[in-house]
Formats: sequence, C-alpha cells, structure tokens
Amino acid sequence: MRITARIYRFDPACDSEPHYDTCTVDVEEGARVLHLLHAAHERDPTLSYRYCCGTGQCGSCALRVDGTPVLACMEEARDGITIEPLNLPIKKDLVIDMQPALSRLAGILSQSEQRPPTREEVEAIKPLRECIECLACVSVCPAMEVAEFTGPTAMRQQMRLTLDPRDHADRITEAIRDGLFTCTTCQNCWKVCPKNIQIPGKAIEKLRALANRKGLTLPRHREVEQLIQETGRSIPRGKSTFLEQVPEVIEPDGEPRKTVGFFVGCMYDFRLPESALDAIEVLRRNGIRVIIPHEQVCCGSPLIRTGQLQFLDHLQRRNIQAFTSRGIDTVVTMCAGCGSTLKNDYRTPFVVKDITEILTELGIEKPARLPLRVAYHDPCHALRGQGLREPARILLKDVVEMIEVPQKCCGAGGGTRSGCPEVSSALGKKRAEELAKTGADVIVSCCPFCEYHIAGFADRPVKNITTILRQAYRRKDLGACPEQ
Amino acid sequence: MRADDVISCHVLVIGSGGAGARAAIEAQKYGDTVLISKSVVGKGGCTPMAEGGYNAVLRAGDSCVLHEEDTLRGGAYLNDPDLVQVLVRESPERFRELLEWGALFDISSDNFPAQRSFGGQRFPRTCYAGDRSGHEMMLTLLEHLRNSDVKILQEMAVLELLKEGDAVIGTVAMDARSGEMTVIRADCTVLATGGGTRMYDISTNSATGTGDGYALGYRAGATLIDMEMVQFHPTGAVYPYDVRGRLVTEAVRGEGGILLNAEDERFMARYDPQRMELSTRDVVARAIATEVEEGRGTSRKGVYLDVTHLPAKKIEERLPVMLEQFLKFGVDIRCEPMEVAPTAHHIMGGLQINPEGKTSLSGLCACGEVAGGVHGANRLGGNALAETQVFGKRAGESAGRAPSRQGRIDPLQLEAVENRVERFFSGTTPPWVVSRQLQKAMWENAGIFRTQIGLRDALKVTESLLDVPVCAVSSQNITECFTVRNMCLSASLVARSALLRPESRGAHVRSDVKQTWDAATSPYGHTWVSLASQGIMRQEVAG
Repeated sequence: MRITARIYRFDPACDSEPHYDTCTVDVEEGARVLHLLHAAHERDPTLSYRYCCGTGQCGSCALRVDGTPVLACMEEARDGITIEPLNLPIKKDLVIDMQPALSRLAGILSQSEQRPPTREEVEAIKPLRECIECLACVSVCPAMEVAEFTGPTAMRQQMRLTLDPRDHADRITEAIRDGLFTCTTCQNCWKVCPKNIQIPGKAIEKLRALANRKGLTLPRHREVEQLIQETGRSIPRGKSTFLEQVPEVIEPDGEPRKTVGFFVGCMYDFRLPESALDAIEVLRRNGIRVIIPHEQVCCGSPLIRTGQLQFLDHLQRRNIQAFTSRGIDTVVTMCAGCGSTLKNDYRTPFVVKDITEILTELGIEKPARLPLRVAYHDPCHALRGQGLREPARILLKDVVEMIEVPQKCCGAGGGTRSGCPEVSSALGKKRAEELAKTGADVIVSCCPFCEYHIAGFADRPVKNITTILRQAYRRKDLGACPEQ
Repeated sequence: MRADDVISCHVLVIGSGGAGARAAIEAQKYGDTVLISKSVVGKGGCTPMAEGGYNAVLRAGDSCVLHEEDTLRGGAYLNDPDLVQVLVRESPERFRELLEWGALFDISSDNFPAQRSFGGQRFPRTCYAGDRSGHEMMLTLLEHLRNSDVKILQEMAVLELLKEGDAVIGTVAMDARSGEMTVIRADCTVLATGGGTRMYDISTNSATGTGDGYALGYRAGATLIDMEMVQFHPTGAVYPYDVRGRLVTEAVRGEGGILLNAEDERFMARYDPQRMELSTRDVVARAIATEVEEGRGTSRKGVYLDVTHLPAKKIEERLPVMLEQFLKFGVDIRCEPMEVAPTAHHIMGGLQINPEGKTSLSGLCACGEVAGGVHGANRLGGNALAETQVFGKRAGESAGRAPSRQGRIDPLQLEAVENRVERFFSGTTPPWVVSRQLQKAMWENAGIFRTQIGLRDALKVTESLLDVPVCAVSSQNITECFTVRNMCLSASLVARSALLRPESRGAHVRSDVKQTWDAATSPYGHTWVSLASQGIMRQEVAG
C-alpha cells in the first residue's frame, strides 16, 4: 500500500523555523502511523520520533495527525495525512520535551499508619489510573497557555491521590495552588485522551467539590451560589427578562409540527433576552409550538463546574418538574452550557435537544441569503459537551459565507470568568483575535457565555445563530414585499 | 571527551523497568544513586506492557512449597533452586510493599487482593490489575521514585561498561538524540536492561527489548547461563502485519478463553488434556505451531482464541486493554474470536547471579530479565513481574552495600568506544537492514523447533552480521548502530548456547535429537557462555 504524508521537521539546533517534508512510502495493509514513520525514517534517518511499546500502553508516541492528538502506534496510517508533534516544546521533529509536564505529577506520600483501599475505593480510582502519561491532554489545554496551571493529568493525579486512603498529603490545597480553578472545563483533554479519561468531570470538578467542603471555594464562586439560592439565577437581572416578555405558550404559524418545552437559561433570560426572542421567532416560524414554564430556574451548571453541590438537587427537581408537569417530552435549549448540563448531569424523563439540533432534524424553511462573512465559534459545551458540530454549520451554510476557524475555548466556562477573570480574559482576547483575523463581518456562536465573553474583546459584532436566521427571514420577507 | 563529563555516584542502575526502578529505590537508601534509561522512565522495557499479573502466595490453601514446585516443574527443573526459593518466599512481601506504596491491584469481594489462574500453576495465585498489571506496578514505582533522591538520566543509551581490572566501575553512555557522551563512575553497577526478543521477527517486546544488557555484560566478561532458553508466548496477534507478535495476555485463557483450530477443534485436548489451555507456555506454543504447520491453522497462520462465551461485562472489566486494542484493529472480542500465533516473549537465560543479585564480575549486579537462572527452561506467567521486585530489591541492596572504590577511568577504554562511534560514520549498511536479516534468521533457525543444522546457520548469520559495517548518518543514529550490534551479539549467544544443549528441555526443542530422559532425569544442567569459555554442565542423575 503506497501512502503519502506530510511530516513536520524542525531541529531547534540549526533551523530557524519548521518545515514539512512530503514523504511517499510503501506500508503493509493495516499499518499504523508509527509504521509509516519507520518507513520514512529508513529513507531519511535524520527524522526523529519517539516510540516504545508499539501497543498503546506506554504513551511515548503521542503526536498530531491532521491536527488531532493520537498515539502513533494505534492510529491507522492514511494517505494524505499531516503528521506533527504535540503542541508542546519541541526537542526535534516529532519529539517533544516530556519532562516539564511529567515532573509536575505528584508522587504518593504514604505513611505507616495506613489502611489499604477497599474494593470500592480501588474501583473509584481505576478510571483515573489508566493514564499512560502521553501528554495529549497537556498539549491541548487552553488554561495552561495563559495561567499558572500544572494541567489536566497533574489534576488527575491529585484526584487519584485524594481518593487513596494511603496518601497523607493535602492534595486539595496543592491542587488550588497548582491552578485548579483556572480550568475552563472545555473538555478538550478528555476528548483527546487515548484512554478516554474524563478529567474535567472525574477530577477537576470533584477536586473543586472537595475544596468546597473544606471551605476553599473562591469567594466569587460563593457569591454566584448565593445568588442562585436567592434568585434562582446565577447572574443579576437586567432591565427586562426574557420570561417577563413571553407568554407560557407560543403557538406557531399554521399547524404545529412539534411541541417542545423551552429551557432558556440564566444568560438568555437575564442578560441577552433579545437573542432568546429571536430563537422563539425562528421556532414559531418553523411550525414548532413552544411551551415556556416560567418557574424554571438555573440548570445548576455554575454550581457543578465550581464544585458547589449542596443546592443542586433542588434546582434539578424544580426544572424537571417544570417540564414533566406539563407533559413535555422534548426540551429545547439554545444555551450550549445548559444543554450540556441537562444532557450529562441530569437524569431527565424527557429528551433534551439544542436548538440547532431540533431545527436541523425537523428541517427549516429556507431563509434568504445574507451578504455576510461569518466566523463561526464552536462552543466547547456544544462541540464536546454534546458532540454537536454539524447542525450549526448546516443552518449557516445556506445563509451566509461561513469561515472555518480551528476550535478553541474562549475562556468563558467552568467558573473561570468569575473566579479567575485574568485567565478568562486572556483566553477571550486570544480567541477574539483569532476570530477577527478571518476578516469576517460577524462572529456567530450558539452559547450565551461564549457570545457575551467574546463580544467583550471583539472589534466586530458577535451574534447568536438564531439572530442570524431571523435576520435572514426578515430579508426574505422584505424581498417578498419590496415596498416595506 | 572532557573530564567534566564524568558523573560520580555510589550506585548506577541501568534500565528503568520494574527491576531497575525497584533496584534504584533500594539502592538510594545507601548512597547517591543514578538511574539511566534508554527510554523515558516508566515507558521503556516490558513492565508497563505486562498484562497478566504477579504471582504471590497470599491465601490459605496456597503455599510457598507449592509455588516453588510449580515454578521448578514449569522450568523443566533447570531453574537455580536457590533463586526459586528466594522468589517464592519474598514475592508476597514485595507485593505487600507495592500495596503500601499505593499500588491498585484488583480487590476481590472479601477485600483481599484478587488472584487468577495462570498456566502451569495449581493454585490461582496471580494478582492483577485488570490486564494492565505491569502498568499499575510501573506507576506505583514511579510515584515512589518521584519522592526519592534518585538522579534520573532520561533517554540515554549505555554504550559500554567500564572496567578496572576485573571489576566494573561504571559506564560510558550517550544521549540518544544529541550523541553527546557521558561517563558515569559508580562503586557498583546494577544491570536491569530487560530482555531481548526483538532479535526475532515476531516478538512481544517493546523497542527497548534489544538485548543490550546481555551484550554489555558479555563484553565486560560476565558469565551468562541458559541463553538458549527463549520463551515463545503462545498467543501473539497475527494482524495487522506490522503489529504481529503483539502480546495477547495469558489472562485471556486464565479468564476462560479457549483455543480452536480452523476446523473448530479444541486442539489442546490432544496435547495436554488435563491442563488444556492453561498448560505451560512452552507446551501451548508448540501445540499452536504444530496445528499451523500441519495445515489446521487460519489463512494468516494462526489459530483462534475465543472468549465470546464469556459475559461481555467480564471481558470489559477483566480484559479492557485487550478489548480496546482489538477494537482498534477491527475485532470486537466480545463477539468474534481473536487470531493468535506464538511470538518471542522472554529470555529465561541471562547473566548468572547469586541470590544477592551479584554477577560473576565484581562491581556488577543484575536483576530482572537480563539475569538468568530463576525461570529455568520455561517461565511461568506471573513470575516475571514478581522477579523484577524480588531481585530488583536484592540487587539494589547488594549494590548499596558495596564498598566505595576509587575506580580510575581508563582512557584507552573510552578511546576504543570513541573509535567505534567514528567507524559508524564511515559505515555502509543501515542498522535496520542488519536487524531485519537477523530477525528472519533467528525466527527461522533458532525459533520454537530447532535443529543443529539450523542453529549453525543462525550462528553463522549472527556472527557475520556482527562484522557488517553499520552506518550512522547523524549523531542520533549512533545509538541505533550500537543497539543493532548488541542485538546481533545477544542473538549469537542464543545460537551458541542452543548448540551446546543436545536435548529438548522446556522451551528449547531440538527436533533432531532423540532422548531417553525427561526434564527431571536430564543429565544436563546450565549452559554457559563467556568471553573465556563455554559449555554445558553435567549433573548426577538420581537413581
């Protein structure tokens, strides 16, 4: 089998900048990227790459294939791929310096006064123990770029030690010192992990919950919790809220194709109600009957991300009750954060869908085309939290000229905006710059946290996807009645 | 080489797998300890890849005597009995130590370490952490090492042991990428470089399984025993081609997996009707090789290993690595059988050691796979991980207790190494051309079934490959050149030793020899090879 690949080359000792070699080699059927590299190395013995076990167990050979971190020994070699090192300091070519990250992993401090872990404890630690220290997670962590943060696998190790009765160090205090609250819970570390270790949910948020029990929650996070307890919302109210402006039931144009419940979330209710009104209009126009229970409250995401779980049950019960009592079987939300929380942190007796999902599933009336170039920002909690990549693109591609921008966290999530504003701002600024670099007229997203946060740094408008759709319908209507 | 490139320490440990890490942890109690690793520490060697488990007598109903008997019988009574006794007696202690240090082995419902059945053992005494037992051990040792004062040199290859008279006084090593050389002077050196079945075309070993330690020890004058004893693990993957040989853990059979030939026959009934799939590895490997040779194998020259009759949940919990690996290669072992064939796995032979881990050379200890004598002619699954800890600790302690010595570095020895380096730059044959020829020759002529004619051929090839002018294009290829030379030398030791043993014993099968004795009544003891001599020991046979 003959395949061609582009391979990153860089020798810091003599090259001023990296370049790519295009290499065509013959490999056996079923060959992995590692075997492609062996073949390439035979042609050019100066090519450097690291490997050892060849069976996905040692974590030596992580690199990027077409931008995504993988283990070279497990990833199938395909024609036309680009092979690059992990995004970490480079020693040479595909070999990165692993020591800075590995040296940050804590050892165990066991004492003679100890008891062995029980079966339950072993089972609890196991999912955190499968780490092969390949550093794929470290290579994609946005917080590490701008904050003093030891990174995802270092936090995983702290949680592993915390769960172990044999360890006697104060891992919570250490974790906070090492940047526990700078993680934006973007989930990138989990999604690139070859062992599928859910670091944000199983380590970061758990460590934050333990910090909470020790009274070490950040004051700004405590304020958010207090606000939720008092008002049911995680942010202070604006002039006029969304819920105040809408009736409980909104009938669509014509025969209803579907009835859904609408979960608005704190941000669209209190801070960005206009976007939510646009969304309702798009739903209505497409034959979707919308029920909006007015007693709904915060989904609890800000509490879960920051480890403040005492009040969570109450919120969950109240929200679930709000929809079940009205016999609703499908709940739609336009907030990526709420959607991810309702899907992953709730056990709901109803189906939860993001608004882009329901619109693409049912199909929408074709809007007019807008003369806009749009840079689309994938929210972490849509892309990775819910696995939603295509729906927003399907909706946008007929309406505007869409510019693809490599996904990256904007820094708004995980309680970072309130808890570590300098980290959040640094990421927001970087993200806004990347999006602006495209020369787009408008930045579009489908998450209120992303939209609001990026807007704070962007030199051009940031809009919700339904606002764009509504604008396109307006244009269509104008086209049909030019005299208006 | 500059004089300031010399590191001085009390103990130098070469190798960072289970044995090396354990040795370093022990040695540092006695003085400055340096651990040098060809890979990133924790990633090299076979320990992080070891799947099955760790044999330890822990439960009532089991006993050290039983473990000892199983090990000797499994080893075809070629084991050094003193070493076996140390292994079985101290393995439980070392296991408990790992637990104290934070190891997370599976726990049974009675909150006691879980143990599973492994081949050739009359009691389920193999402790495990799913099928990533070695990885679990390695993480535990790393967590311990991180809190220690051991100085770690990463990704450096040892080129040669340095000597003063008959004693080893350190090494000269090279950074694998920059090609920079470092001299390390030590009061005592521990060789823990692991095995070397990369010399075979089909092998379970990681990239570091190149037999460097056998070659280093041999060139320094140490005596090696039983180098012909190469274990072929019965179950290696056969597809994809480039991943052939990848270990399919014995735990698959331990958990109830069965072997079927292409005619759907559970063929082990014809080879070992009592123990069936859980016979010893040498027996199962020969059975599979025979099935394939006689035309009852699959089109990819393997047989089927089947767990589809087991509950999916059990497979997911007990064999997660297997499940994940096979899924990556397009096979869901919950509903399809695996295809397997024998693969070169472990070298039972190695540097001769006494129970303290001392070799025949002053200033040099050895532990783990590079040492010989513990497993005799065939190793039981689960005894290797135990060996790394028991003898790692002992070798580390011996080295730690070694007296300090002046150790004057001989410039002539350094010059000889530098000359070898220089010659590689004017070499003509790339290292991989040599290793490929070596692997084919060893697989064909020094594999599961051996003859004198074939072994002579293998020896001729290995020795002629040792003289091939291997070439380096840049400084980073130099360690590759040294490595391939070490592979060839180790392979020649295997072939030489195999020619010395005119009998079938354990893993060593001479299909051209008819013998009237069995393992228990063999007139032969260890084979040995060294710079000075070679031979096979004769022993009195009891009545």
